[in-house]
Amino acid sequence: MRLRAALLAALLILPGLAGPAAAQPRPMVWGDALPATLDPHAIFDVPSQFVLLNVYDGLYRYQGNPPQLVPWLAETHGVTADGLTWDFTLREGIRFHDGSAMTAEDVVYSFRRLLAMNRAPAAAFTPVLKPENVTALDARRVRFVLSTPYAPFLAAMPLVAIVNPRLLQANEKNGDMGQEWLAANGAGSGAYRIDAATYRARTTLDLERFPGHFRGWADNPKPIDQVRSRPVMETSTRVLALLRGEIDATDSYLPTDQVERVERNARTRVAKDESMRVFILRMNNRKPPFDNRDARLCFAHAFNYQGFNEIILKGMVIRNAGPNPNNLWGNPEDLKPYPFDLAKARQHCDAARAAGAPLGREIEVHIQSELEQTVQSAQMFQADLRRVGVNLKIVPSTWPQITGATGRPETTPDMWVHWVSAYFIDPENWIGQMYDSRFHGTWKASAWYRNEQVDALLARARTSLDQAERARLYAEATKLVVADSPDIWVYNTVNLRGLTRRVQGYSFSPVGSGGELRTMSLAE
Amino acid sequence: MARYILRRVLLALPALLGLVLLTFVLTRVIPADPAATLAGDAATPAQLGEIRARYGLDRPLWEQAVTHVRQVVSGDLGNSIFSGRPVMEEIRFRLPATLELTFVALLLAAGLGIPLGLVAALDHNGPVDHLVRVVSVGGLAIASFWLAIMLQLLFSMEWDLLPLRGRIDVAAGAPAAVTGFFLIDSLLAGRLDQFADALRHLVLPAVTLCLPGLASIARFTRSGVLETLQKDFVLYARAAGYGRVRLAAIYVLRNAVTVTVAQIGLLFGALISGAVAVEAIYDWPGLGTYAVQAILAADYKALLAVTLVVGVVYAVVNVVVDVVQALIDPRVVEQVK
Repeated sequence: MRLRAALLAALLILPGLAGPAAAQPRPMVWGDALPATLDPHAIFDVPSQFVLLNVYDGLYRYQGNPPQLVPWLAETHGVTADGLTWDFTLREGIRFHDGSAMTAEDVVYSFRRLLAMNRAPAAAFTPVLKPENVTALDARRVRFVLSTPYAPFLAAMPLVAIVNPRLLQANEKNGDMGQEWLAANGAGSGAYRIDAATYRARTTLDLERFPGHFRGWADNPKPIDQVRSRPVMETSTRVLALLRGEIDATDSYLPTDQVERVERNARTRVAKDESMRVFILRMNNRKPPFDNRDARLCFAHAFNYQGFNEIILKGMVIRNAGPNPNNLWGNPEDLKPYPFDLAKARQHCDAARAAGAPLGREIEVHIQSELEQTVQSAQMFQADLRRVGVNLKIVPSTWPQITGATGRPETTPDMWVHWVSAYFIDPENWIGQMYDSRFHGTWKASAWYRNEQVDALLARARTSLDQAERARLYAEATKLVVADSPDIWVYNTVNLRGLTRRVQGYSFSPVGSGGELRTMSLAE
Repeated sequence: MARYILRRVLLALPALLGLVLLTFVLTRVIPADPAATLAGDAATPAQLGEIRARYGLDRPLWEQAVTHVRQVVSGDLGNSIFSGRPVMEEIRFRLPATLELTFVALLLAAGLGIPLGLVAALDHNGPVDHLVRVVSVGGLAIASFWLAIMLQLLFSMEWDLLPLRGRIDVAAGAPAAVTGFFLIDSLLAGRLDQFADALRHLVLPAVTLCLPGLASIARFTRSGVLETLQKDFVLYARAAGYGRVRLAAIYVLRNAVTVTVAQIGLLFGALISGAVAVEAIYDWPGLGTYAVQAILAADYKALLAVTLVVGVVYAVVNVVVDVVQALIDPRVVEQVK
């Protein structure tokens, strides 16, 4: 006690200097990660969606859970029967943050900029859309003419932020389309605008409410005027900062062993929402022994799904049977997940060995060192595989290192561990890009799986505009893929976000992970 | 003296050139592919090739190295591959944060370590000496990330005395940037409240960071003092009737501390690398956290710039240390001549 008194005395001198504490309420402090760049056309990852959803608007947007695709900047759209020509009509009276009106020409500029930059968010469009095929019909109508029919076109619309060309052209440097400038500035029409003066990459982003947002604020009587984004790097610090009230929200991947602690605290809670983010152990189907189906089935039966999901992750995930998240359309109704069954695993391994599969060699699994679950899953798998006579070696790595290696089958690791997140809500985002061999060379297709029947089904599903037919085709493809067991699908994520109790109106959608500030308010 | 300083500066230049080349080769032989992360999901191999060409990643390594050195010599560290912003600009905000933290930690380490070493030597094999030994062994042995979390739990969570993280409170806001050092900028702006807040935020990270340095400074000072105490001049001074305290604090310490000062120059490097873990846990927006983010994203331009800037700072600090050493002990300059 005496020690504490002495420390108190010493430390009280410091705040004594600080003068009267500010009387106004503490601003909202958002503790989730910030993207490396604020340019919405340069990057597409989970952190970038915070900027995309709050500073910018797209023609369409996902809302709610399960996610509904709702018209956003667009009022309506139409598509020709051949699925090639798509027309979108903008709402009236949309204004950018600088007060200028948004026109169809601005939409054209945004798509052409996206395609010219050819960075992450463009990947969904480049195979089917040429820059010159985006045109303005009049001030409010935009036409897209695709080179081949592409059903997920509408589903991918929310990926594209409409930017203000006047600001970008004024800040262009060596024909960079304003890339350097937009990386640290805002040029949007979204519900919040950026204070560029205080922005520091990845550490400080101050947002101010935009009263002139096209949706109006009638549905939120007490919106938050000032939001301070202050990412907390280290998980343990992030949790402590929330408990102490220094931040109002953590990221949406709170470690499952922290959930109880956050819920016990009187001023914090945990928002739990089923998302669409599948945890996978990949197998390189081109490399022996994984070119052998029995070997793959042996591995699929040797993973202790129950132990990992229920014990290690405390039941805060949902077992997922195939590549598509369970809560997405296009899954077969009777799809059964592989069970953890070492006897069955042994049978398959024996069959594989008899066929000459080199199961005696050391199998490498590459994990992402900074992501604990990838490590835990590999360690658990290592112990169980030993019981069926397979020697698994865990290799620490990082995301850029692994994805840099997945360009060719020879350099792709035997196995690696990762998630596939919801970039757009369509089976194309999961089974389509993961198991159609046309995507070989991308990290998503790094199982190097090839099945001509599956390729044909996926190609048809990609071009058909008949929703019922698409669902049937994807269900059929999923059945074939799961029977071939090219990878090990473990769970679908339940997003866990720690929040202070004063945060009201938090609403989750798998795209954006609940980071949309427009509906939130602070209780006093 | 001026020639001595010039000589020190010139000696640092080839070392820096070596650093530029070595770090370039090291970051480029790592198999991580920045293009793959840039292009994102479902990028086709053709798209990847286009991106590699755009950033010059498809050129032979030696050609990339020449371009890089030419850029660096002309003072341009390039743009971060990921943020697209000039790396120098990002570092401009982060370097002062790291320097502020390391300088305060260094000040604590030297300010406490030298007196501790002195009293330990004077009480050779006595209880004070043993106590200082325990502190210094502990200081070197305790892992800083563990200590950081313990200090957070105690001083922020349990006792609510000090802030948990960051450089300044969200409500107080950062002082207008002049030097980037919050302690200086807040005083320049006449904002005592911000100064106090910045100081409170510094306490835990600086204490965590200074501990290993404090320990080794105390050890070095102790052995330097012990050695000097054996010298003849000490015996004569004692015979001439100098008091114990005056003798120790002025004559012995000045002779003993030259080794410690040289040690401080080396320690500075250890402090900066130690700052990586400390910055991460206390959420200190410095170069350490920047480097970690750059590694995880394979942003080699940013990484090269960080190593170069740290190298320059290290070289400057060591030149300063050499000069201080020469001021304390003029024999150093004589030897060089």
